[in-house]
Amino acid sequence: MRSFEDDPTLDDLLTPEQLQRLNHALSALCRKPVTITPHRQDDAVAVEFNLETVGWLSGGASPGERQVASELVSFLMMFVAKYRLAANLHHDTTEASYAELQRQNEALKASEARYRELSGQLQQRVDEQVEVIRQTQQELYESSRLRSVGHLAAGVAHEINNPIGFISSNLGVARDYLDDLRGLLPGTEANRELLDDFHDLIGESVDGAKRIASIVSDLKTFSSIDQADYTLCDVNKLLTSAIHLLQTEYGHQLHITERLDDIPKISGHPGRLSQSLYNLLDNAAHALRDAKSENGQGRILVKTTARDNEVDIVIQDNGCGIPDANRSQVFDAFYTTRPVGSGAGLGLTVARDTVRAHRGTIKIDSREGTGTRVSLTLPGT
Amino acid sequence: MAEYTSEDNKLTLKVVFYGPALSGKTTNLMQLHSLLNPERKGELMVLETRDDRTLFFDMLPIGLKSDSGLDLRLKLYTVPGQVQHDSTRKAVLSRADGVVFVADSQPSQQDNNANAFGNLEENLEKVGLDIDTLPLVVQFNKRDITGVVDETVLQTRWSATPWSPLIMASALRGQGVIETFRTLLDRLYTEINDEFELVSRHGIDRDRFITRLSTSHEVNRA
Repeated sequence: MRSFEDDPTLDDLLTPEQLQRLNHALSALCRKPVTITPHRQDDAVAVEFNLETVGWLSGGASPGERQVASELVSFLMMFVAKYRLAANLHHDTTEASYAELQRQNEALKASEARYRELSGQLQQRVDEQVEVIRQTQQELYESSRLRSVGHLAAGVAHEINNPIGFISSNLGVARDYLDDLRGLLPGTEANRELLDDFHDLIGESVDGAKRIASIVSDLKTFSSIDQADYTLCDVNKLLTSAIHLLQTEYGHQLHITERLDDIPKISGHPGRLSQSLYNLLDNAAHALRDAKSENGQGRILVKTTARDNEVDIVIQDNGCGIPDANRSQVFDAFYTTRPVGSGAGLGLTVARDTVRAHRGTIKIDSREGTGTRVSLTLPGT
Repeated sequence: MAEYTSEDNKLTLKVVFYGPALSGKTTNLMQLHSLLNPERKGELMVLETRDDRTLFFDMLPIGLKSDSGLDLRLKLYTVPGQVQHDSTRKAVLSRADGVVFVADSQPSQQDNNANAFGNLEENLEKVGLDIDTLPLVVQFNKRDITGVVDETVLQTRWSATPWSPLIMASALRGQGVIETFRTLLDRLYTEINDEFELVSRHGIDRDRFITRLSTSHEVNRA
């Protein structure tokens, strides 16, 4: 493109019609016709504009006439060129400004699109965060409820612990007294039967008291009421307690295999870990109950292994399994497949959050109708 | 950029007078037009003004023909100084071979000088020129007004720049205008001599270049 400052040619300055008119007017002024052409003729003199020869003037009656005519044309060209230069410059700058405006417009559009996208993402993020807050609130509510139940259980256990202690001890002494009585009473048939029956009654009572003591002890471990938040915990012991509680819940009918390795203690919150392990065991027990009978006897395998300063826990069952369609939702809060009233749908949620809080991982492998394996990994101290 | 066309053996150079509004750029050009008497001198074109202020630009063409037939043209332009005419300034500045920065010596105008110089730097970059290599002369104009900033103060302020020493001028009185122009020609020659073989091919040495383009009426009379 020609720049505004390029030296103008005759064509740039005058249209053919204008040139013709100028030739006519000049010829009328001079004694003989004159012509202005872009190229040099024999007798021509230069028509100059700004040191630049823009054309050649020929004809006229004398060199003097040509010279004067040429000067007149140069004088006129000056004003024509002035306008042309200004117009060209104006055109150039307008185009440049327009191009700049377009560039800015494009940039603005791009930035607007970026902000629109960002705002969309922001809305999505806000929604996600709101959901997280809602869940956390629910979990908090749930966990504080569990904690108060735990407190209550621990309180009850503590209150029962003393009486059951002296009941056990008294029953032991009573059994000794019974043996003494047997020597003092006449050895009649009726007396013997009475004493044997008495002996059995006391024996059963001792067993009963022992079971009460064991449950109380499990409850105490489970609720961990007398432990600080984080402490060294023996995962095997937590598992054993949880299994005992589960067995009590299910009337000692579950077939649970324990394969507990010698594993290091880990730093953790025993109450929350116990709750999580219990939830997982409870799920396994439910799965067995819901399983079809052709799977054979329902079994739960509980396994712990130590590996590279990590503790692996596997709780596996051959129960009903999880259908593929539900797999992605199992960790969602309030997701449950059980009938209304039999579970809040928080078991796995609590377990996952607890494991995460312990910087561990939880993984679920399951096939519908075959069984489920939950693998936990918890970092050591 | 200097433009050489071999078919008519013509070399066109462009010098732009830059500076804040009302610093005297057009006055510089008018004085050059009346003071200079170079071999060839065209009309001073004052394109358009409103209230004595340049709207587009002014242009003064001067030139010389060397013995080798080189048709050397120097086109002197001014830009409009007012802030709002920036796109015009940029268009005129593009392809410049040299710049004369006309600053205003009055204390009240020092901020405007700085802004205009910053604008020059910016626009040079936009049109692809480098302020550090472009021949540039800084003139402090209006020395005739009383209360202007002291010369030593100005010289000290600019002493660390490549454009020191500054040239003091009173364009209205025709003082320092030719000196400014000659200094610019001197720096311009350094830049273009090698590229266009001024001395080796056309026999134009530095002294010839400067004197023949800036011959003044006074010298002729002497």
